[in-house]
Amino acid sequence: MSNEAVLHTHSGAHDGHGDHSHEHHHETFITKYVFSQDHKMIAKQFLITGMVWAVLGGLMSVLFRLQLGYPDQSFPWLEDILGKWAKGGHITPEAYYALVTTHGTVLVFFVLTAGLSGTFANFLIPLQIGARDMASPFMNMLSYWFFFIAGLVMLCSVFVETGPFSGGWTAYPPLSALGDASPGSKTGMDLWLISMALFVVSSLLGGLNYIATVLNMRTKGMSMTRLPLTIWALFFTAVLGVLSFPVLFSGFILLIFDRNFGTSFYLSDIFVNGVGALPNEGGSAILYQHLFWFLGHPEVYIILLPAMGMVSEIMSVNSRKPIFGYMAMIGSLFAIAILAFLVWAHHMFVTGLNPFLGSVFVLLTLLIAVPSAIKVFNWLTTLWRGNIRFTPGMLFAIGFVSLFISGGLTGIWLGNSALNIHLHDTYFVIAHFHIVMGVASMFGMFAGIYHWFPKMYGRFMNNTLAYIHFWVTIAGAYMIFWPMHYEGLAGMPRRYYDYSIWESFKQFQGLNQFISLVAMIVFAAQFLFLFNFFYSVFKGRKVTTQNPWESNTLEWTTPIHPGHGNWVGEIPEVHRWAYDYGKDGVDFIPQTTPVGADESHH
Amino acid sequence: MSHTAIHEDHSAEVKKEVVRVTIILSVLTIIELALGFFMMGIDAPGTRLLIKGIIVILMLSKAFYIVAYFMHLKHEVRNLIMTICVPLCLFFWFITAFLYDGNSFRNLRNTYDPHYKEQSTIKVEKKELKHEEKKEEAPVDTQRRTD
Amino acid sequence: MSTTTTATTTTKLWGGGRSPFNVEYGKLMMWYFLMSDALTFGAFLISYGTIRFSTNGWPDPNKVFKSYPFAAEGVNAPLVFVSIMTFILIISSVTMVLAVQAGKDMKKKAVAINLILTIIGGLAFLSCQAWEWNHLHNEGAWWGMNPFPNADGTASSTNFTNYFFTITGFHGFHVFSGVIINIIMLIMTLTDQFEKRGHYLMIEKAGLYWHFVDLVWVFVFTCFYLI
Repeated sequence: MSNEAVLHTHSGAHDGHGDHSHEHHHETFITKYVFSQDHKMIAKQFLITGMVWAVLGGLMSVLFRLQLGYPDQSFPWLEDILGKWAKGGHITPEAYYALVTTHGTVLVFFVLTAGLSGTFANFLIPLQIGARDMASPFMNMLSYWFFFIAGLVMLCSVFVETGPFSGGWTAYPPLSALGDASPGSKTGMDLWLISMALFVVSSLLGGLNYIATVLNMRTKGMSMTRLPLTIWALFFTAVLGVLSFPVLFSGFILLIFDRNFGTSFYLSDIFVNGVGALPNEGGSAILYQHLFWFLGHPEVYIILLPAMGMVSEIMSVNSRKPIFGYMAMIGSLFAIAILAFLVWAHHMFVTGLNPFLGSVFVLLTLLIAVPSAIKVFNWLTTLWRGNIRFTPGMLFAIGFVSLFISGGLTGIWLGNSALNIHLHDTYFVIAHFHIVMGVASMFGMFAGIYHWFPKMYGRFMNNTLAYIHFWVTIAGAYMIFWPMHYEGLAGMPRRYYDYSIWESFKQFQGLNQFISLVAMIVFAAQFLFLFNFFYSVFKGRKVTTQNPWESNTLEWTTPIHPGHGNWVGEIPEVHRWAYDYGKDGVDFIPQTTPVGADESHH
Repeated sequence: MSHTAIHEDHSAEVKKEVVRVTIILSVLTIIELALGFFMMGIDAPGTRLLIKGIIVILMLSKAFYIVAYFMHLKHEVRNLIMTICVPLCLFFWFITAFLYDGNSFRNLRNTYDPHYKEQSTIKVEKKELKHEEKKEEAPVDTQRRTD
Repeated sequence: MSTTTTATTTTKLWGGGRSPFNVEYGKLMMWYFLMSDALTFGAFLISYGTIRFSTNGWPDPNKVFKSYPFAAEGVNAPLVFVSIMTFILIISSVTMVLAVQAGKDMKKKAVAINLILTIIGGLAFLSCQAWEWNHLHNEGAWWGMNPFPNADGTASSTNFTNYFFTITGFHGFHVFSGVIINIIMLIMTLTDQFEKRGHYLMIEKAGLYWHFVDLVWVFVFTCFYLI
């Protein structure tokens, strides 16, 4: 019997199941809201967990900004909440490093990886490709729960006696490998590793599902080149994750052995104060950095690509114009996905990396500018002479492009190994990656939430609050990170506890204070968003039409409150690409509309 | 039913293929082992490197036979083959960059860390003897090197 | 066979409403999982290579792996035991192929027999590995302990044994989970689960995993014992 025959019986059974799903699904609270296998509910779980982590991670940054902005002042209330970690109202150095580390880990992995691609890949892939659910809803559920447990373990690490890990989110050995090296390197680091291992499992389960779903479950007529760019972006994101996370996993296993079983994969020639010379010989700390950044660099694209995809889609819808250069957009996504794997060592130019090898990495790194520029110009030309609707989602999408340009340009500086000697590990780097990866992706996420909120909850979010949220956030983002470029150019290193004791960096005291102040205001402004979100879930203005944004994609052909299975009856067939806006004088033509006889070609 | 007849034919064909691949894999392994034995008597680094190169090529051809026939990839749709093989090209750069940098790290240490260089030229005759005689004490003094 | 029924053009294959590769999603996921796992093993082996390249000397595997069970004290038989292990794994891979093929032909009995043989092969391999680990441990080798000097007689770092135990351990763990999967497959076969479903596609996926384990051994074997 042929494979295909099996396939057909299989998918037939699946469709049949979907048709009757409303009748024999007796859902309890547990199966509907907790151990749900509905991709839409899993997406919401990812989103809300991500939001919780974003608040925690943001709060951490406010706390350490407090130290950086006001190193001389004491805040007795800090001792009330942090106890011994803020003796006398001063955050201790250990606590400061722990906060920086946890902030980085949480934001990069839990918020911008799981919270962003977890949410939107789950939500949008089945809806936009025309599938009833993910290929394997069960694995999808497991993916969320692994992420959830990873989060719990990370949370526990904050409360252990010796504190959470405090050697930076990259966890370089020997600091991460030796319990004697610092308080945070003890139990905190063990929990950190367990948490990250669980996270890798979660992202693998999710990623395999996304890939299989996009390839196998597209509805009739939905060829790959008719997919919305969101799906392309999420697809490449999943590919990046599946290929790069295992390398990190290997690196972590070796690290676990170094920590617990006396091996010396990463350790050599080490002397620890109070302990003496260690017997470990023959390892290489650079090896860990290679392994880490082999994931670490694709990881920044894992974070960025979903935002790029959503921005493309939102921008096209709200400019009432087809996306400019659809194939070029796919091509540049593809190019970015490939280059992502080839450039990891540009994070390591000054570690003792071979300079010749470094020069190859410079070349490859600078190549990334090409696809990135293609994408930027395509977004700008999509906006060009568009009939723009400044919805909150659209504003955040435009903000994303602005941030991506500002942050991307400094990447060209940092990608040069010669300039890197001066700029590495300074605030210039902090400014660069926060703008281009952190805040930009955050903007992509906000854009996505504002845009698809009506589909998620059948209600609108409040626009006024959203506008205030947008303007405070974008102005604040630039006010926080723009000055950091100057600090970095002046050589101010990152990760220092107190700059006021350095003659060369004293001059930045005022600037640091300003940055801290803005950071607090921006953090506070996010509560506007949170209030708006949760208020609108229950009390927002109701969506009355199926397609409130007059969009072409398939998710807007589902009922306002889609059940498990998404479509009532047959899944619609697709006849055209997703970007027929303003074609032949028609404002928009949904993908489900058959191509007319007198229609022009695009 | 003619359908089942075709299947019988087909499965006989598959079995033939399996036998063929098994023989190829065994022969390749035996060649590898023979080369391994042959290499033991050779000290010239160039020749050793050449043999190691041949062994790696044999290893890759074994991998090809396992993936193509046992894992059935050769009989899949072309595009599936591509989606699996093309991303694995990543390994070229992965291996090159890592090994190149590993080698460079050794050169750096030999150049700038005289102590390291010196340490790695001291022979441990005593230990080898002990190893020849075998038995228990060996682990105790070798695990904590002779600093 | 999928190839014979695929008389359709590429555009139709990719046109949606079907799998572009003529495979069900589970097999697709298994393939991509294996790719992911290949990178895990790849990263291990490449790390091993990197450390080896960055070290001045390295032990000679032929002076380390030179014994076999029930051998006399001080026997010098390099490559013998490991070649037995290699053949065990190849043969178990062959029986797995036969099990998959029997599944395609819907022959329950043949599936069960071949699965049993595969499981025996897997267990045999694991036993060999256990013996070898135990033997090396008795010689004083373990994580963080390396009694073997470099080939040129200089003192070696512990990374030879560190990598050996970590990587063969990780591979052994894969063999172990493969055996568990095969046992589950066997139980499902014997309880007629696949007969009821009308296809043995699960066996195919388990087979992919098992062959992958064999594939990894090809690389581990070469990297640790031969070169």
